[in-house]
Amino acid sequence: MGKLRIGVFKFTSCSGCQLSMLRVNEQLLNLLNLIDIDYWVMVSDVKGKGPYDLALVEGSVSTPEEIGEIKEIRSRSRILVALGDCATYGGLNSIRNYMSQREVEKLVYENPTSIRSTTVRPLDYYVDVDIYLSGCPPDTSTIVEVIKDVALGVPPRLPKYPVCVECKLSENECLLIKGEPCMGPVIKAGCGALCPNLGRICEGCYGPAVDPNAESLLDKWREIGLSEREIVCKLRKYAGLSKEFKRWSGL
Amino acid sequence: MKAFVVSYGDLAKLIDEAKKSYTIYGPVRKGGSYVFSRVDGLGDMELNYNRTILPPKKFFHLPYEVLMKFKLRDGFEIEAEAKAEPIMVFGVHPCDLNAILRLDEFFSRKFEDPYYLSRREKSLIVVLNCRGAKDEYCFCASLNTGPIAEGGYDLALTELEAGLFLLEVGSPKGDELVEKLNFPKAEVEHLEAKERIKAYAKNTFHRRADFEGLVPAPLDHPVWEEEAKKCFSCGTCSLVCPTCYCYDIYDEVGLSLKEGIRVRRLDSCQLYEYSEVALGGNFRRERKARLRHWMTCKFGGAGGGRYSSCVGCGRCISLCPAGIDITEVASKLKEVVKYA
Repeated sequence: MGKLRIGVFKFTSCSGCQLSMLRVNEQLLNLLNLIDIDYWVMVSDVKGKGPYDLALVEGSVSTPEEIGEIKEIRSRSRILVALGDCATYGGLNSIRNYMSQREVEKLVYENPTSIRSTTVRPLDYYVDVDIYLSGCPPDTSTIVEVIKDVALGVPPRLPKYPVCVECKLSENECLLIKGEPCMGPVIKAGCGALCPNLGRICEGCYGPAVDPNAESLLDKWREIGLSEREIVCKLRKYAGLSKEFKRWSGL
Repeated sequence: MKAFVVSYGDLAKLIDEAKKSYTIYGPVRKGGSYVFSRVDGLGDMELNYNRTILPPKKFFHLPYEVLMKFKLRDGFEIEAEAKAEPIMVFGVHPCDLNAILRLDEFFSRKFEDPYYLSRREKSLIVVLNCRGAKDEYCFCASLNTGPIAEGGYDLALTELEAGLFLLEVGSPKGDELVEKLNFPKAEVEHLEAKERIKAYAKNTFHRRADFEGLVPAPLDHPVWEEEAKKCFSCGTCSLVCPTCYCYDIYDEVGLSLKEGIRVRRLDSCQLYEYSEVALGGNFRRERKARLRHWMTCKFGGAGGGRYSSCVGCGRCISLCPAGIDITEVASKLKEVVKYA
């Protein structure tokens, strides 16, 4: 079996997903037996033009240039992975979609006349995505899992079920039952219930679980005393553009 | 059957003796809840607990276990991974004991499960009988799975009065452990005291469950839709259920792609993936269908309607983030069944 030629690309994002990928630590050498890095600016001077067996793309698409680039990468890639929430749902930076472009630009730049940005979109708004690897950032193990599965030619085994599964198996007390606005019941597992294990509510960074019952959770949150504004903000934070949450995130 | 009368101090001695051969697990506090955890002695345990988050099934039917390792060399090498350590689970309530007995039956039918059975064989279960309902969620009495265990344990304790326990021996393994300790033998009065506690304890339950006649359950009853509106399909009810045994098996391949492990993981019929098949097909795509499936299984569907696989521990009710209550659903269904 030949090695996979991979490209890792960054769009509008914080590079955290790439860092998570680098956190393979001592497994890095084993990983390099599976892949040839053709393009990954963070780790290599090589700037190959593909074609890539596997492209891992971090970030959302938020400028006219990026629209062209993602289409270009797609055309050179056999399998394209949306790496992280920005690539999958638009992510944190998509919260700017809920304000006017000019208003947002003024908040950040002194002289916004040279800024040319578009509405923040996930990758699949512009191109076909083969594998979605959500998380902010995705856990290192799930990234390795995807690379391995692509090498083996099998569909990746990633959870679609909610965080509650991992949380319950960690024998945590249910924060929702204790009256805290946890998002666990509607959020995809994969993190190992990282926050609830530390006594903190799930913030929703893995995006919606399959077939989430958001209506029921919203009823709970209202009982707890969350305002409509707080509810909207919680659903917007990571995956407001997702088909599962956009009904409530308000765009 | 042998029975002794022991003090709290004697129980500490019992555990010290057991520590020579077993790793000890018992109920300990976690926040406002309890979990079965490894303990050094009696002092670490909270014997007045209501229920643990996960039932003792976690010791025998593990949430995650490696069944075997495999290697691809010239051919295909496998290495079974069955490691069972001797453990004592102390303070198991009768409902949970009955659940373990049902799992024993399930894992030793036509195909014996060596992983489960080897762990069970090496275990010693000390039951702690309940002097009454622990809280409003308990309903073992109406299912005859408590509050006093009728057998199937290695040792059973009943607190006769503060700090004084009746210790009953239920198996050769239990006998072997206590025979060295020379505890005072129980007298008739002690056994009578236990009978009085039993008679009293049975009447302390406000919650009841009556699942008879609910297999097959009315499948189109509006209660399924109503409850599904609340349900998160989060799997909590089945993961914390002491009798739910459904599992998934899959292979995890190592980065070399030449070796790997075969894993068994506790699954839940409440999860969308559970009933998913090739090409995205799904037998229970709707939340309602999944919820209904789990409840009818508990009503007795899995046992062909002969017996309920619910033991009345109350976990699925007290831990459901959506507040769904199987006893309430059953009573709504019963109204229809009664007049059918």
